[in-house]
Amino acid sequence: MPLLSERLYRVLLRCYPGEFRDEYEREMLLAFRDRLAADRRAGRGAIARLWWQLVVDAIVRAPGEHLDVLRQDVRYALRSLLRARVFAFTAIATLAIGVGANTAIFSLLHAVVLRPLPFDPEGRVVRIWAINSTLDVDGFSVSLPDYVSWKERSKTLDLAAWLNGGATLRGTGDPVRVPSLSTTAGLFPLLGVHAARGRLFTPADETVNGRPVALITEGLWRAQFGGNPQIVGSTVTIGERPHEIIGVVPEGSVPQDAEVFVPLRIDVAREDRSDHTAQVIGRVRPGATLDQARGELESIARQLALEFPDSNRNWGVTFSTAYEWMIPEGTRRALYVLLASVCCVLLIACANVASLMLARTAARRREIAVRVAIGAARRRIVRQVLTESLVLTAFGGVAGVLLAWWSVPVIRQWLPDTLPRVNESSVNAPVLLFSLGLCAVTGVIFATLPALSGSRADVVEWLKEGARGSSGAAARWRQTLAAAQIAIATVLLVGAGLLIQSLHRLQRVELGFNPANITTAMIGLTPERYKGPEASWAFYQRLLERLAAAPGVQAAALTNGAPFDEGNTGMPIGAVGPSRLNGKSLQADWRMVSPGYFKALQIPLLRGQGFTGTPARDERTMIVSATMAKRIWGDENVLGREITAGPAGNFTIVGVVGDVRNEDLALPPAPTMYISSAQYQWSTMTVIVRSIGAETQAPSLLRTAVREIDPQLALYNVRTTIDRLDRSAAQPRLNATLVGLFAAVAALLAALGIYGVLAYLVSLRQQEIGIRMALGAGRPAVVGLILSRGLWLTASGVGAGIVAALGVSRWLRSLMFEVSPTDPRTIGLAVALVVLVAVVASYAPARRATRVDPLLALRSQ
Amino acid sequence: MPRDIGAEVHALLPLPPAFLHILIALGDGERHGYGIMQNVSERTAGRIRMSPGTLYGSIKRMLADGLIEELTAGAAGADERRRFYRLTRFGRRVAAAEAERLSSLLAQARGSGLVPRKS
Repeated sequence: MPLLSERLYRVLLRCYPGEFRDEYEREMLLAFRDRLAADRRAGRGAIARLWWQLVVDAIVRAPGEHLDVLRQDVRYALRSLLRARVFAFTAIATLAIGVGANTAIFSLLHAVVLRPLPFDPEGRVVRIWAINSTLDVDGFSVSLPDYVSWKERSKTLDLAAWLNGGATLRGTGDPVRVPSLSTTAGLFPLLGVHAARGRLFTPADETVNGRPVALITEGLWRAQFGGNPQIVGSTVTIGERPHEIIGVVPEGSVPQDAEVFVPLRIDVAREDRSDHTAQVIGRVRPGATLDQARGELESIARQLALEFPDSNRNWGVTFSTAYEWMIPEGTRRALYVLLASVCCVLLIACANVASLMLARTAARRREIAVRVAIGAARRRIVRQVLTESLVLTAFGGVAGVLLAWWSVPVIRQWLPDTLPRVNESSVNAPVLLFSLGLCAVTGVIFATLPALSGSRADVVEWLKEGARGSSGAAARWRQTLAAAQIAIATVLLVGAGLLIQSLHRLQRVELGFNPANITTAMIGLTPERYKGPEASWAFYQRLLERLAAAPGVQAAALTNGAPFDEGNTGMPIGAVGPSRLNGKSLQADWRMVSPGYFKALQIPLLRGQGFTGTPARDERTMIVSATMAKRIWGDENVLGREITAGPAGNFTIVGVVGDVRNEDLALPPAPTMYISSAQYQWSTMTVIVRSIGAETQAPSLLRTAVREIDPQLALYNVRTTIDRLDRSAAQPRLNATLVGLFAAVAALLAALGIYGVLAYLVSLRQQEIGIRMALGAGRPAVVGLILSRGLWLTASGVGAGIVAALGVSRWLRSLMFEVSPTDPRTIGLAVALVVLVAVVASYAPARRATRVDPLLALRSQ
Repeated sequence: MPRDIGAEVHALLPLPPAFLHILIALGDGERHGYGIMQNVSERTAGRIRMSPGTLYGSIKRMLADGLIEELTAGAAGADERRRFYRLTRFGRRVAAAEAERLSSLLAQARGSGLVPRKS
């Protein structure tokens, strides 16, 4: 019986590769025994030293030996792959496409979804909105007095508020209009923003009637001020008043579309608590939790409702984390769906390569059998297969990463800019790590089957059969793989079909207006120059007349918000007298519009009349949408009825117009009311021009008209409505395009899989086919034989695919529009496509089978 | 293609210390593994004691490089259980070249005064 120390050494020897042990284990044990005997005589120190050496050997030498074996294997694999170039190229290219597409999509997912927000890695920054469940209002702006009360009373939150707006800069060439923010000083520290130059706002800047100061972004500083190093301290006219620029903030440091910041100065005494205008953000203070903060703010809201019942009854608060606010659920889900579909493509690619390797192993049976027969260890054969797949994966992985590295900037360019943070996507360290993991998984997936099949090598059988054996297992596995590929391709095609259907329906949704040839532009009048609504209405009337008379213009109109502009205006209203509301309120969108608005957008006037444009005659009149009329009074005549709009007073309905989708293609039209812009205007309004024919001239026409009336005014956000609609469908279009593309690649790879399996089958069954033909089977019978095998594979794949698709498509529901996840037409179409592709792929091998020469086939036996 | 022995020899230099020790140990005749270990230990007064891992890892590579060869069974005589190794002609040339390299290095070190000259 071996001594304990010898047994221990045997255990250590297990660290060495098998080949090495086979060769030297016995010798090493003998040497160990002699050395141990000598060291025993030399004392305990010598023995300790011996064991120390042995352990170091196991830790340092053994891995070296493994590396050595690996090096040999890799060299051997490279040589054998060089001999099979077509196989190697096909496998590497397939893997590269799979890994590349996955890496590219993951880099988007990582940039957009996975990275924490730079200013809020711990998820302590929250967006706070007002809600009113009785009005069915969710996520509404906050009134400034409410914000001030929250800030004074909250112990768990640091709060900041801002108002979005626009500012006209003068004194640097042509006046330019830029998006701006009036913000409390607290916003910048809350977001962790540091000034790139100068300083940020301090509470002192918030004093009402304080000195006018402003911050600008680095982008504006470069574009408008040429990066002037003396910018801090200089004076710029913003609106009508000179402002001192006190600092420059880094681009994109405030997650809002703003290039100019001015202090928000709140005079609580003069603010209206029911006027919800402000956006509020907060950071949970250290020591408090999100839930505590929410609970505290809810209780403050309840107190305020008691203290100010007129304005605050039924108003509460709702939170979302800054992350949920900036990266909406829909975006997150869409990117995960993209990653899942691209993973399916990789799975199919793996199946293809596995199938190729199985075929290769089967073709090399004789070689393998001979090597086993002359003494090669089976584990060595298995490792050969594994090494080959390792080498293929390494090449495929590197090519895939290069592909992604090249394609990510390209993809980024045609992605919708509605995807937040997408411009920051790149093939960076975490993405590379993902690709590495992906390659490891890929290699294991596609190498397992061939390795198993190699390890079961039945030497005697294989030598007997020769290279062309009828190979049960490998062929069966390949057929299973082909069916699995068909199944995955079916799932992807069904998914793509559903998304394409949704997009199609979305793009054909009834808008309620005609978006063709419409151009919109924003213009801001400053109250200092246009005192009172009469003066500004006079300006707008001149502008609209001039535009309407311009050549190529069919109609011109004015509104505070054109369809599919950013932002929306809405308020709760009530009905005067009996109505279906039964004294409750209805949340309705509202727009200020000029008399020509409905004609310009081709919104039908259903009953009554439009606005006159004369302030006195339009006073207190209102036009409502059909849905709004119906929601309040059903099918009764609504003309002459009255609506009460809180502090704004009562309005008489003079007309009813058709419903319009103003905000979201996927949402039904909201109840909407229109008031006359002769009566009410904002300082910033949108001009609408309908061109006759193409709208290319419209922007310059608009600019000329404005400049001729008042050269001091800036025109901005000049866009066509078609553009805006495109933007609003950008995410669904991206989903449909990419999933469609992946489905196409999947179908192609699956077709290759079927083709490969059938071609192999034909080569295996040549003799059988030859005999059948010799016995009188015609070509159709032979084609049928092969085609039926292909169709059988397809049918089983499609069957499994449909079941899986039904399970998976529910997951897509939130990305779909007016399409059921089980839409039989889409599923039918996807199946038809798969079958078509499979038939095409089966046809070539089937035809080759008919060319089998019975004589040759039999002779080769 | 003719072999360029000189180039092959120089491609292996400098030798890892373990290689050189094994070559020296085999310089005066064949030995088995433990014999090599013993020889190295004796020559260095016990300062260098090779472990089996180092020894057989080196032997494997030296066999592959053609520096040593294994004696066929029976030729080893007394102890048939053990595998015996001896220098090849090529191994002898490599050992000589390495010794040459080291001695010229030593001469240079002496020349620059780094190593005291033997009195």
